Amino acid sequence: MKGKRMKGFSLFMTIAVLCGIMLTVPAAAIGAGKPIVIGGSLPLTGEFAETGLWIERGMRYWAEEINTKGGLLGRPVEFKIYDDQSNVGKAVTFAEKAITVDKVDLLFGGYPGTAARAVMAVAEKHKMVYISMGGHMKSFQQGYAYSFGAPPLMGEWWYEGFFQWLNSLPANQRPKRAAVYTINNPVGLSLQDCIYRWTKYLNIKIVIDEKYNSPLTDATSMIVKAKQMNCDILFSNGFFPDGVTTMKAAKALGYNPKAIVQGIGSVVPAWVKELGADGNYVFSGTVLHGMLNYPGNDKLNAYVKKKYKLGIYPLYFGFGYAWMQTLQQGVTGANSLDQTKIRDWLKTHKVNTIAGPMTFDKYGLPGPINFATQIINGKVELIWPKNVQTKQPVYPKPAWTK
Amino acid sequence: MDAVLLTQSLISGIMMGMVYALLSVGFSLTWGVMHVIHISHAAFGLLGAYVAYSLLEYFGVDPIVSAAVSVPLLFLLACGVYQLLIKPITKAKEVIVASMILTFGLAIILENVMVLIWKADPRIMTPTYSSGALIVGPLYFQYPHLVGFGLSIVGITAIYLFLQKTYTGMAVRAAWQQPEAAQLYGVNLYRISMITFALAVSTAGAGGISLALLNSFEPHSHNLWLIYLFLVVIVGGVGNVVGTALAGLIIGVITGLSMALLPFQWVNLVTFGLLMVFLIFRPHGLFKQGV
Amino acid sequence: MEKYRLTAMAILIAMLAAFPFLEPQVYYLSFMFSVFMYVILASSWNFIGGYAGYLSFGHAAFFGIGAFATAKIAAVFDLSPVLTILATIPAGAIAALVALIIGYPCLKIRGPYFAVVTLCFAFVVDLAVKNIEFLGGAEGIWMKIMDVPEKLSRSIMYEVMLLLMVVTLGVAWWLGRSRLGAGLRAIRSDEEVAETMGIPTAKIKIQAFILSAFFPGIAGGLFAYYLTYIHADVVFNISISILIVLMAMFGGGGTWLGPIIGAVILTVVNEGLSTFAQAEIARIIYGALFIVVTIFMPNGIIDFFRKKGGG
Repeated sequence: MKGKRMKGFSLFMTIAVLCGIMLTVPAAAIGAGKPIVIGGSLPLTGEFAETGLWIERGMRYWAEEINTKGGLLGRPVEFKIYDDQSNVGKAVTFAEKAITVDKVDLLFGGYPGTAARAVMAVAEKHKMVYISMGGHMKSFQQGYAYSFGAPPLMGEWWYEGFFQWLNSLPANQRPKRAAVYTINNPVGLSLQDCIYRWTKYLNIKIVIDEKYNSPLTDATSMIVKAKQMNCDILFSNGFFPDGVTTMKAAKALGYNPKAIVQGIGSVVPAWVKELGADGNYVFSGTVLHGMLNYPGNDKLNAYVKKKYKLGIYPLYFGFGYAWMQTLQQGVTGANSLDQTKIRDWLKTHKVNTIAGPMTFDKYGLPGPINFATQIINGKVELIWPKNVQTKQPVYPKPAWTK
Repeated sequence: MDAVLLTQSLISGIMMGMVYALLSVGFSLTWGVMHVIHISHAAFGLLGAYVAYSLLEYFGVDPIVSAAVSVPLLFLLACGVYQLLIKPITKAKEVIVASMILTFGLAIILENVMVLIWKADPRIMTPTYSSGALIVGPLYFQYPHLVGFGLSIVGITAIYLFLQKTYTGMAVRAAWQQPEAAQLYGVNLYRISMITFALAVSTAGAGGISLALLNSFEPHSHNLWLIYLFLVVIVGGVGNVVGTALAGLIIGVITGLSMALLPFQWVNLVTFGLLMVFLIFRPHGLFKQGV
Repeated sequence: MEKYRLTAMAILIAMLAAFPFLEPQVYYLSFMFSVFMYVILASSWNFIGGYAGYLSFGHAAFFGIGAFATAKIAAVFDLSPVLTILATIPAGAIAALVALIIGYPCLKIRGPYFAVVTLCFAFVVDLAVKNIEFLGGAEGIWMKIMDVPEKLSRSIMYEVMLLLMVVTLGVAWWLGRSRLGAGLRAIRSDEEVAETMGIPTAKIKIQAFILSAFFPGIAGGLFAYYLTYIHADVVFNISISILIVLMAMFGGGGTWLGPIIGAVILTVVNEGLSTFAQAEIARIIYGALFIVVTIFMPNGIIDFFRKKGGG
C-alpha cells in the first residue's frame, strides 16, 4: 500500500520537475541588433480561426513588403505569433509571454473584441503600444493611454454612412418601418446606438426591436414577424452564421423589404462566395475598403488576387495590414522602439494608412469613419460618401429571384 | 396571437428538430449498445457535410444524391476507426469514461484535419433549392427543411427496421440486453459492435448533410452540434430509436413555440430551462433505456 | 512514512510559494496561475464527479458565477484590490448557494441524465447573465486594474491562487479519508446498496456538490481579477466545463492525485505545443495525446502506474 503511494508521489514530483524544465527552455532571450520582433497572439484555431488567419496574412504581407525595402529602422522585422485557440485567457497569457519572456519589441493587435478588451489592459500595464480594432467604443473609453484603434472596428460608427446616404434620399422614398434584430453581444449592442439615433432623426418607426442569442438556428419566425408587420427595412445586426440563416429565410419566405442592412457577417469573403446572388444588395458599413483612393490599396488588391483569387482584399486582411502600417509610422516617426515615444508620436502626428489619413484623440481613436457599402453583383461596392462611391446603390432592393 | 406565425414557426421548428434526431440516432445507439459515448460523432457528421459540399461544388452533384457515396464512405472509415481505436478500449473498467476521452481527442484531430483540407472559412451548402419553399396557402415549407425532414424519416426508419427485422439487428439488440447470453449463442460481439458503430457514424453523415442545408458550417461547428446530440439523446432515452425521433419532435415544438411566442432573447434560455425541468421530472428521458 | 511525505509536500509548497521571489518573468507567474487554477477546478470537480460518479458537465457555471459575482461586488462597493481579492470568498459562497439550490432537484437524477442536466444548467446561467443587465449583461464587466507594478500584481495573484490550491487539495486530501469520501465512493459503486447500508446518500451528495462548486467559484473570481475584463462567452464557455471533466478523468477520477496530474499535464502540454508547433498541427498532436493515453492507459494514468508499481 505504502509502496503504491510512494510511486504516485514520485510520479507527481517528476512531473513537477519536468514542468519546471519545460518552462525554462523557451526563455532563451532574443538579443539586440537582431531583427525587430513583433509579438502577440491570434485565434489561429477554433471558433475565430477564419478571421484570425486573415489578420495574420495581412500582417505577413506587410512584413514581406517592408523587409524587401530594407526593414524597420534598418532592421528586418519578424513575427512571434502564438495561437490562442480562440480563448481569451490564453490571449492574455500569450501577450504577457510575448512581452516578458520573448521580450518582443512591439505588439500586434488581436481578435475578437473580447480578447482585445482584455489584452488592451495588459498592454497598458506593461506600457506597450497596442494597435488593434479594439472592442468598440466602451473599450476605448477605459482610459488606456497605449491603445490605438487604427482603424478600429467600431459598431457605433458602422451604419453612419448608410444613414447619411438614406438621409440624402427624398423623404417619400425612405423606408418607414424598421425591423431590428440584434445579436446579443458587444458587437450587436454597439450597432444599436447608430440605429436609434438615426431612425429617430429620419422619422423611421422601429416596429420590431429584438435581440437574440447565438446560435440562431432558425430565422423563420423572425422573418414572418417582419413580413406581417410590413417592415420595409430589415436590420440584421449579426455575424456570418446568423446573418446567412436570416438571409436564407428571407428569400425562402419571399420577404422583400426596400433594404436589408447587415452587421459584420457580410464583410467576410465567404458571404459573397458562398451565398452567391442571394447575398446581393445587402447594405453594411466599413472602415477600410480596397477601392478607396488611398495609396496601397491597389497593391493589396493585386496581391490577394494573385495569391487567393479574390477580387478585393478582405476586411480583416486590411485590418492586419493597416495596424502594422500605423505601428510602422509610429516607430519611424519616433525613430525609436521606446514605447512611450512611439505613443507620443502617434498622439501628435498624422499617419497615412490604406484606410486614409488619421490623427488620434485622447482615446487613441481617429475621427469617425463612415463608409457605407452595398454588395452589388457579388462585389462589395462603396456607395457613400459620394466622393468615394464606386457604384450607384441599388434601391429599393429588387425582389428575390427564384 | 397569430395562427399563421405560430403554425409557420412550429413547422420549421419540427422539421429542424427531426434533423437533430437524425444526427443523434447513431449517437444514441453507440451509447446504448456499446457504452461508447462518441464525442467525435458530430465531427464525423461534419465530415459528411464537407464531402457533400465538395461534391456539389466541383462536380455539381446534389447532396442527396452524393449521400449515396459519402455515407457508405463514412461507414468504411468508421469500421477502420472501430478496429484501430475503439476496440482496444472495450476492456477498460469504465468504457464510457475511456471512450469519452479518446473520442474527444479524435474530434480535435478531425476538426483540424478539416481545417487543413477545407480551410477555416464558413461554408454554405447551396443546391438549387437551397432557399426555395413550397407554398401551401399562407404557409411556407422551406425546401432545405423538407429535404432534411425527409432524410431524417428515411434514416431513422431504416435504423429502426434494421434493428427489428434483420438478423444482425436482432443480434445487436440481444447483445445490448444480455451480453453474456448473446455471446453464448455465438454472437460475435466485436463484429456486432463494429457494424453498430459504423452504422451510427453513417447516420451522423446523413444528419450532417441535412443540417448543413439549414445553417452555415465551419470546422468547429461540431462542438455546437454535439450539444444538440446530448439533448436529443437524453430526452429520448439512451439507445432508444423511437425515443430519439420523438425527442427531436419535442425539441422542435419547444423551439417553434418559444420562437413564436417569446421575445427572441429568451428563446434559447427557455429551451434549455424547459429541458432541465423536463429531465428533473422525467429523469430517464421519455422512455427507459433500451433498443 | 506519512511524516516523510508531509515534509516533502511542505517543501514543494514552500518552493512554489518562494517562486515569485526569484523575480521570474511575469509570464511564468501567469502560466503557473493558470496551472493552479485548472488543478483547483479539476480537483473540486472530482468531489462530485470522481468520488460520487456524478459527472457534472456544467462546472463552468460555478466558475463563471464566481467571476461575475466578484466583478459585480467589486464594482458596486468600489473595492480596493485587497478587498476585491477577499470578495472572491463571498462570490464562492454564492456559487455554493446556487449549487445547493440546483443540486437538490438535479442530484436525484443519475448517470448520463445528470450530466446533461448540468450541461443545460450551465447554458441557462450563461444566457441569464447575458440577458439580464443586473447580472452582467452581454457587454461584460471591466474591473479596475490593480494599481501596483505589474510584477507585484501578478505575484499577488499567483500567491493567492496557490493558497487556494493548497486549501482545495487539503480539503480533497481530507475528503479522500473521511466518512464523507467513503460514502461518496459507496454511491459510485452502487447507490442502492449504499442507501440500504444506511448512508444518507442525498445529504452527502449535496455536501460534495456544494464543496465542488465553492472552490471553482473563488477561482473564477480570481480569474476575473486576473483578466480585468470578463464576458459571459469567456467564463461560461462550454469548453471549460468539458476540459475540467477531461483533466480529472485523464489523470484518474476518484483519486487525490489523478486530477492534479491530469490538469498539470494537459495545461503544460497544450501550452508547450502552442509554442513549438504550427497551430493546426499542434492541435492534432494534442488530440492524439488523448487517444494514445487512453489506449495504453484506459483506466487513467494513476491506475496505470499504481498497477505497475504495486505489481
